[in-house]
Amino acid sequence: METLLDIRGLSVGFGTSRGRVKALRDVSFPVRKGRIVGIVGESGSGKSTVLWSILGLLAGNAKVTGGEIGFEGGDLLQLDAAGLRAARGEKISVVFQDPMTSQIPVLPYVRQMADILYRRKGMSAKDKRDKAVDMLRRVGIPDPETRIDAYPHEFSGGMRQRAGIAMSMLTGPNLLLADEPTTALDVTMEAQIIGLMRQLQSEFDTTIVVVSHNLGLIAELCDDVVVLYAGEVVETGAVRDIFHNARHPYTRALLECDPARIEDVSRKLPVIAGDIPDLTGALAGCIYAGRCQRAMPDCHALAPPVVHRGSGIARCHLLEGPLADPDWPPPMEVPTVPREAGTPVPARPRTVQPPLLEVRDLNVRFQTMGPVRARLNGVKDPFVDAVLDVSLSVRPGETVGLVGESGSGKTTLGRAILNLLKIDRGSVHFDGRETSAMAERQFKPLRRDMAMMFQDPIGSLSPRKSVRALITEPLTIHGISGVDIDAEAERLADMVRLPHAFLARYPHELSGGQARRVGVARALALNPRLIIADEPTAGLDVSVQGEILNLMADLQAEHGLSYLVITHNLPVVRHIADRIAIMYLGRIVENGPTADIFANPAHPYTRALVEGVPKPDPDRRRPEAAAIGGEVPSLIRRPPGCDFAARCPFVQDACRTAKPPHVQITPDHGHACLFPLKQANQTTETT
Amino acid sequence: MLSYLAKRLTLSLIVVALVLMLLFSMLHMIPGNPAILALGTRATPEAIAEYSARMRLDEPVAIQFLIFVGNAFQGDLGTDVFSGRPVTQVIGERVGFSMALIFSGMGWAILLGIPLGCLAAVRPNSWIDRITGVFSVGTIAIPSFLVSIWAILIFAIQLGWLPAIGAGEPGDIGDQLSHLILPAFAIGLGWVGYLARMVRASMLEVLSEPYIRSARAFGLSPRKVTGYALQVAILPTITVIGMGFGGLISAAVFAEIIFARPGVGKMIFDAVSDRNFPILQGGVLLATGFYILVVLLSDLLIAWFDPRVRQSL
Amino acid sequence: MDVRRETARRERRDKLMRFLTNWQGMTGLVLVILFIASAVFAPWIAPYDPNAMNIPARMSPPGWDHFAGTDQLGRDTFSRILHGGRIALMIAAIGVSASLVIGLALGMVAGYGPRWLDNLLLMIFDAVRSFPTIILALATVALTGPSLGVVLAIVIITTIPSYARVARTATLALRNTEFILAERALGASTLRIMWHHVMPNVMGPLLILAAMEVPVVVTIEAGLSFLGLGVRPPQASWGTILNEGYLVIRDAPWMVVAGGIPLILTTLGFTFLGEALRDIFDPRMGRGR
Repeated sequence: METLLDIRGLSVGFGTSRGRVKALRDVSFPVRKGRIVGIVGESGSGKSTVLWSILGLLAGNAKVTGGEIGFEGGDLLQLDAAGLRAARGEKISVVFQDPMTSQIPVLPYVRQMADILYRRKGMSAKDKRDKAVDMLRRVGIPDPETRIDAYPHEFSGGMRQRAGIAMSMLTGPNLLLADEPTTALDVTMEAQIIGLMRQLQSEFDTTIVVVSHNLGLIAELCDDVVVLYAGEVVETGAVRDIFHNARHPYTRALLECDPARIEDVSRKLPVIAGDIPDLTGALAGCIYAGRCQRAMPDCHALAPPVVHRGSGIARCHLLEGPLADPDWPPPMEVPTVPREAGTPVPARPRTVQPPLLEVRDLNVRFQTMGPVRARLNGVKDPFVDAVLDVSLSVRPGETVGLVGESGSGKTTLGRAILNLLKIDRGSVHFDGRETSAMAERQFKPLRRDMAMMFQDPIGSLSPRKSVRALITEPLTIHGISGVDIDAEAERLADMVRLPHAFLARYPHELSGGQARRVGVARALALNPRLIIADEPTAGLDVSVQGEILNLMADLQAEHGLSYLVITHNLPVVRHIADRIAIMYLGRIVENGPTADIFANPAHPYTRALVEGVPKPDPDRRRPEAAAIGGEVPSLIRRPPGCDFAARCPFVQDACRTAKPPHVQITPDHGHACLFPLKQANQTTETT
Repeated sequence: MLSYLAKRLTLSLIVVALVLMLLFSMLHMIPGNPAILALGTRATPEAIAEYSARMRLDEPVAIQFLIFVGNAFQGDLGTDVFSGRPVTQVIGERVGFSMALIFSGMGWAILLGIPLGCLAAVRPNSWIDRITGVFSVGTIAIPSFLVSIWAILIFAIQLGWLPAIGAGEPGDIGDQLSHLILPAFAIGLGWVGYLARMVRASMLEVLSEPYIRSARAFGLSPRKVTGYALQVAILPTITVIGMGFGGLISAAVFAEIIFARPGVGKMIFDAVSDRNFPILQGGVLLATGFYILVVLLSDLLIAWFDPRVRQSL
Repeated sequence: MDVRRETARRERRDKLMRFLTNWQGMTGLVLVILFIASAVFAPWIAPYDPNAMNIPARMSPPGWDHFAGTDQLGRDTFSRILHGGRIALMIAAIGVSASLVIGLALGMVAGYGPRWLDNLLLMIFDAVRSFPTIILALATVALTGPSLGVVLAIVIITTIPSYARVARTATLALRNTEFILAERALGASTLRIMWHHVMPNVMGPLLILAAMEVPVVVTIEAGLSFLGLGVRPPQASWGTILNEGYLVIRDAPWMVVAGGIPLILTTLGFTFLGEALRDIFDPRMGRGR
């Protein structure tokens, strides 16, 4: 098979105030024509740097210190500016990660796309417009003849990404580079984009290089895989070889830590301890030796050999040479990464205790425009219902997962429960007392029992306060006297396993994981009974997200805490939650025990979510038809009937007229669907 | 777009109303008979009586204010204490000189400053960038009235190239232009430097945005990419020009005084020392109205250029 | 994990080093110190009494006994410049402090309070900030007569909106941050949030702005005094020196040159200092005011 792009010995360094960061070292891998290659890595792996090196668009302080990139007979690294420009856009094209910032805001799409075609001298303006319209149609944007004149901000996120793909395919490039193409998108949209990319690839016979940290995406989309760790290639191979028979310990660990691959549900997730090494310092031996689950003393000093298998390589001492171990790698079912034994998940809720938190028919509305403007625009009711008739409960000692995609209202609900937003209708009861109508003064003492962990770990800490001040601030705010502040600070630090030395630091001196611990410590300061955790794993690599989740599980076991975890991450929530509530456009569409929901979803949206998460197993690729089309409707134009009707594969006429009421199948499993997939005491027919 | 316009219009009207109130109250806060202040110390008792009746000086202050505003809208801003001519006529004679100065001053600053800033941003650390940097810092450091004085010293007195005083012979365009050069240069100089820096900073920021990287990734020519960047970077510059127009008007007033140009600014200044209140009122009103108009226009210009603002209905 | 703490400590040291090696910043600092010192110690440094007339020596050019020459009454221009600096320093100190405090308060209220209040304050800020200062000055002087107090009042009123705007922008940005939300979730009162969490983060940009506003304030005073609307003779101010120099510009041109130089140096000094501080400590501030 012909090689389209041949990367050999690529080395790139960045000049920073800390010194020269060796971001890529001797990176080599081929990209074969007509294949989809996935570059997998976590933060600090240098995967995006590889892409920018191919295009010649590295940042100002970056320097290519060695290697060559073979493309169409020449070396891309040797091309001058004119040569690069000729290649870019025509032969090599890019799909960017964040469609919201990567499209120029002040020009309509037709203009942007016509500009991309500037090299086609023979094409008239009309020809270019037609081609652009055709491309928009191919990527699935409805009504392309009129929408081509729109500006980017008039498109939703998913549509913008489709438009971005259209722009990149406009010139029919030989090579398409995709930088985390679905990271900024919802699960259901992600499935659509994956389908779209596969379809375009076969239509145009384009070779694609995808960069991602999402193993599911890689497994679904790619033919070949390159695994990067801290700037080095540790393993490459065909996708099945990598996923079913990984040879490098890092690849193994990565696969084992992915919650979507862990079948048995337990509260504790495996973690790769440690951090990537400092890339400014001297690097000797195997780059992964510091964290490897099978590291041997010589690994730190001797560079590992390159061991071939089929079309791929792996760099590990265990595979060849004097340190080789014939029993490595063990079969995939055998875990190599240590994993703590979690408490077994009870089959049914423990005791029927009264709920600690009870939300009944809660409604939160936001005003979209002032009364004057509403009058001028003929809008009668300038409100959106961000949370609509939501009921849910959390019992003492249990973890409830609140699951939804962007715009589902889950964060709004969390904040409304904590009295940070105004409640329009409905009630919130905490420990039997109604809190929704309380003034702040009355509510304040309750803040000791209900704490929140925020999504942005460093951003949720006041920048000019030390960790000690931050952790103990709740004591000051609530006027707790007669305690030794320093002793309290140390006690809390111990609880979250934060070394005492960190108490003197400031938020910008902490890593994401450390900042999260500080957030947990602060939440624990006054012995709460309920913690609302907003996206506790956001921004964390898969291999380390277990740290915080395991900590949360330990604290729950020790102190009998309840958690309400707000997240969009289904694989994680399957492991940590006792019960789940699914939100769509501000309503709860289904809620019940985790195992039931995942095994037998009643609501079509739940099924779409559960099946929509890309499985990190190339043998379990979903057929394209399974992807749910369409997008989440806008809150401003909420459909009259069921919110999901426009996208539901089982929709019937009755669904469009009235909102489905909440129905209980069993005492703790309920849904809001007129034609559920599962009736009471019935199992669904799954494909 | 409509509501955006409405909001800006309301703001402008409020400012106008406030200024009118202030102007009106000026007359009444000064000790002495408002009629004498309006007509001058040599006014005859009959004239005073007639004025008092016409302006209803015995009536409550609110009514007087309304009459004042009503007169203003009809174009009656009172009469010049010394010449007896209507204030509007006096202003009319002088407004042309002020406009010529303001527009030529801002004009050359924009024509030179924006391209300079753009070039400096596109070629960072080149000689053009450094020279622009030094030049702009230097010109910002000198207050405009000082530039006026020194310009007179250097070009009019020491070198004798250009005239120092007045606006030139009426009807003689060439002469008037030569009298315009130094004042326009003086008020524009600080602006050239300021605009160059603003545009440079704005461009540099835009050039580091992700969508510029996208444009480069698609292989667009450097000129096209710069064009994109300029289109976005120009927006804050327009805001700044709009906001800074007040400063330009101030500078123009100083320049008129220093160069003894018969413009509205000098007129106001003379009126203060002459205690010629109708002229003072009329001039301040005109200056305020002009400034509001400019700010409104710059807002509209931004809305026109930025589709996001245009569509925020 | 000490890498991160080391990094932060190194960053602080880096910033200090960058400031000390930034020739612009250091020049600015030197000029600012020169300005303040010469103004404070003027009575001791000045070779002559600023009001001492010496008619025989009137209109003499710069020389060894009169560094900047003498004016039309024989007074030593150099001494007058030094004493004029005291006026400038006083206006700068009082004007900037008052504006900063009031602007900070108003800006925080606008940023943190209800939307209607924000809109109202914003309209007022915008209207006042860009209004031609000279028009306001002329109108006021027509009412009250010229004085230094008038200048001070005008200076304060017209510069409050700049501080308020920056304080507002910073407060607005902070208002929606997660850490402010976190403080509310902990039960912190609005007052506590403003004092402990908003203000410390707003002060930085404000102090940098203050440095850049000093030349504006000094220039306004000089301009107004130049026109006779501020400081009255025989008091020495940089503006009045320029005024007197302008009247004799054909015969004694050095007066306008000498009177202008301190203005330029002060402006350069504070601008360099402010920009260096901003570039090093708060690069985000330069944009989006």
